[in-house]
Order: sequence, then structure tokens, then C-alpha cells
Amino acid sequence: MTTLVPVTYKGGVYRHDEIMDLIDDLGGYIVQKHVMAQDVVLQSFVPRDDIELIRRIAKPLAGEVVEAPLVGTEIAVVSPSLEIHHLPHIACDIAEYLRRSGAKTNMVGLARGFGKRIANLNDEERDVINEHDLAVYALGNFEECIRQKFPAIRREINVPIVVTGAPDRETLMRAIDPPVEGYVGGIGRIMHRFKRPEELGKLDELVDEVSRVLDARRDALAKDPLSVFPPRLMAIIEEQIHEVSMLTHPTPVTAQMEGLRVKLPYDSYADDVRLLEVAEGVALGDIADVTPSRMRNYILIRIKPFSETRILV
Amino acid sequence: MPPLNYFVVESPDEVGRNAYERVAGDVLQDLDLIKVIDRLHIYVDPKVPIFVAVGLLRHMPRAIRVADFANVNRGEKEIVLDIGDETYLAPLLQKLWVIYGKENVDQPDRFTVVLPAGVAGDEDLDRLVVADPSETLYKDVIYALQYIAPEGFKVRRQYIREGKFYYVASEDTLPTDIVETAVVPLFEKMEVTL
Repeated sequence: MTTLVPVTYKGGVYRHDEIMDLIDDLGGYIVQKHVMAQDVVLQSFVPRDDIELIRRIAKPLAGEVVEAPLVGTEIAVVSPSLEIHHLPHIACDIAEYLRRSGAKTNMVGLARGFGKRIANLNDEERDVINEHDLAVYALGNFEECIRQKFPAIRREINVPIVVTGAPDRETLMRAIDPPVEGYVGGIGRIMHRFKRPEELGKLDELVDEVSRVLDARRDALAKDPLSVFPPRLMAIIEEQIHEVSMLTHPTPVTAQMEGLRVKLPYDSYADDVRLLEVAEGVALGDIADVTPSRMRNYILIRIKPFSETRILV
Repeated sequence: MPPLNYFVVESPDEVGRNAYERVAGDVLQDLDLIKVIDRLHIYVDPKVPIFVAVGLLRHMPRAIRVADFANVNRGEKEIVLDIGDETYLAPLLQKLWVIYGKENVDQPDRFTVVLPAGVAGDEDLDRLVVADPSETLYKDVIYALQYIAPEGFKVRRQYIREGKFYYVASEDTLPTDIVETAVVPLFEKMEVTL
């Protein structure tokens, strides 16, 4: 079986459809397409052996192909507060930087996440965060505050967590109990945009930490693969449910590591989605749970593992 | 960092201290208060929890009077105010309306205000206070401190008078003697008495 690797293609609008067709023909998937003025960014999965071929074909079009470890993941960037007097928020810079590495990021500003004694997390915030592949918590400057408040704002969060804060990595590790999956020190509350080289270096460190955590999850998934590869299911949904193409969201169907978020109203479309024929004689409902998302009225699809369904599409 | 004559941030947590030094610098720079604040001493301890900022202002802008931006020409029948700078025209009109009544204040064009001589007596129109920029400056300074303080510290006490200011904030209820125990010692470090 060919291994699909996440890559980002950056190039001009001119003849970019040829690249899209090529990726399609090679058996790859385009998870996200951004057109910004004259530029096109394609977040995609392509067979490892064919990256060189795409590079070669893209060369006359001045397109470049770079490995993007976070393609096909949806990450929540959680900030204890998005209050106006804390602008510019470091969470914005973090979200933007993760996006450049291919992730789909959502900002989650907690309603009552500030303070160390008074911080808390409500059920909606908890459920929304749990719908992601990973949560990045952008915390503040004081070790004492992180130690006290973090247990409250991580309560019942069962996705991997990467914590950032001003204390160094070792201090964060000491302060947080039980441990989380990743730590990045040196990013606290900063009242300006990330611009100095050492600050940008910290963002690179964060991307590395996030990809390390997600790679561990991918390895675990490889041992018991999903019944269908999420980008593949995404392609099937986009092809068969034509309403998706009429949505104005930047990502009408969002790929996650273990599922999809379809931005159609659950009440009207859930049954259509469940009955969707994924392969000969296999309905989507057989290989995945179709549940209402806590994010607006969207549909959340969680793909079941092969061990449970005995079906591999 | 800003050219303050005295700028100290104290905290038992060294990492937090450095971070707050930068936060305070950024905020003062963003709000353009560096020229206004002369000295600033911040103490922050998340364990207590307490945030104290005390300082001195460089100079307070004085009150704006009519003579600062207009000529008052007294005639036989009417008094003509010849406006030089429109910045304070709106508050001036507000004041005049209150004092003389709207029907007596005539504004034939942008730069002229006419009052009947009979209504406006001999009182010193030149010296009439129109606006006090220090009022908004107070607000700006307090806002900046609110901005610098940790967000969870919602309980606060603030003071700004005669060039001195302090701002105390905490997550918990502030003790009644907080000014004596936390603020006065910081002023003493700056060799100033509150």
C-alpha cells in the first residue's frame, strides 16, 4: 500500500487545476484549497513516491511542494480569555503559525478562563475542545497561576494537550500534574506580535511539539487503522452530497485525524450522511458514528476502527 | 525600554517579573504614556495574590480656558468670540448653552460665536474653563494599569491625584489596610510620601 504523506503545494493560480488533477490521478487527496489573490495553497495528501513527480511538473509553474506535518488535523487553540484589553493575543499568532504548517485551527476563548482561583471551563467549551485532534493551551506568565488554574481548565478534556507558558519547559512539566502530552516554555502573555527571531523560534518549537504528539497518535492509529481514511471519506462526501459545494465556509468539510466535520445542519442532513454509500454495499453509517457537533449545528463524523467494523474501504 | 526616570518591576517569580517588565513597557508605549509617567514601581505576587503599581506623573496638563483658543471681542451690543482652534469648540458651546441659554448663543459660521452683551455680563469670559485634559489622562493611566495587571485580578482600588497614582488589584477581596501595607512601602522605595 502506498503511504500518503501530508504536503502543502504553494503556487500561482495559473494552471493550478493541472496540479489538482495530478494529485487526484496519483491517488492523493486535497483537503483544503486556499486561493489568495494570485496565489493558491493546496493542503493535500500525496503518495510519498510521487512527491518528486509533482515537484517536477510544478517547476515550470513556479510551484513548490513542502512537507506539512499538520495537514488533515484540526487543532483547538485554547486561550483563557480573548478579552479586548489583551490584544494582540498570542493565541492568534499561534493559530496562524499552525495554519501555515497545514493544520485547520479553531480559536477557543474561554468565557471564564482567567484568574487562578476563579478559572473554569463550561460544558460547551469542554465538548468543543474534545471534538478536535489536539488542544494547544496558551497560558500566561506565572508558574503559580498555571499550577493552580490548569487542572480546572483541562477537566474532562480527553484529546492530547500541548501547553505553552512563560516558564521554561522543565518548570511547566513540574507544575502540571498529571502530565500532558507536550510543553513549550517561553511563550507567555506578550503584548505585541511575535516578531523577534527568538519568538519565531518558539513558534517553530511549538509546531515540532504538536507534530510529535500527533505522530504518536498516528502511530497508534496505524496499529488499528480506521475503516476509511478521512480525506477519502471527505472526497466521497464532496462528490455525492452536492449541497456541500454550495457552502461558503472556507472548509465546508473539515478533515480530522479520526473523522470529519461536515458543515451542514445535522437535523436535515444526518440521515442522508448515514445512508451515503461509501463503497459497494457499505453505508457511511456502518463504518462511522454520525453525531451532532457542539460547534453550531454541524455534523461530526467519527470513523470507527477496522477492529470494530471489519470493513476497510 | 521607555525613558522613565524610575521603572522597577518586582516579583518573587523571576520569569514572571521579566514578562511583566515587557508587558508594562509594551502597554505604556502603545498607549503613548511614556512621556506622561515619570516613575513607576510594580509589585506582583501571584501567590498572595496581589498586583500593586505606584508612580508619579511627569506634569499634568492644565485646564483649557476660552482665552487659550479664542479672542473675546466685547462690543456695544454683542460679544464676539473669534475661535482660533476648533478642537474645543464643541465643549465651549455646551458650556455657553448651559450658562446663557441656547437661544442667546448664536454661531453664524464655524469660527464665530456671538453672545448678546446684555445677557453676558461682566464676568470674565476669557477665564471660563472649557475642558480639563487631565480628566482623560487620569482615565488613560488607570486604563493602562488595568491593562498591565493580570486579567483575573478583578477586585481593585485605584487613586490618582496631584501627580501621584496607585493601583492595587487582586483576585480576592482586598484587605482594608492594603494601602498602608502594600502601597505606602512602594512609595517609600521611590522616596515619595503618599
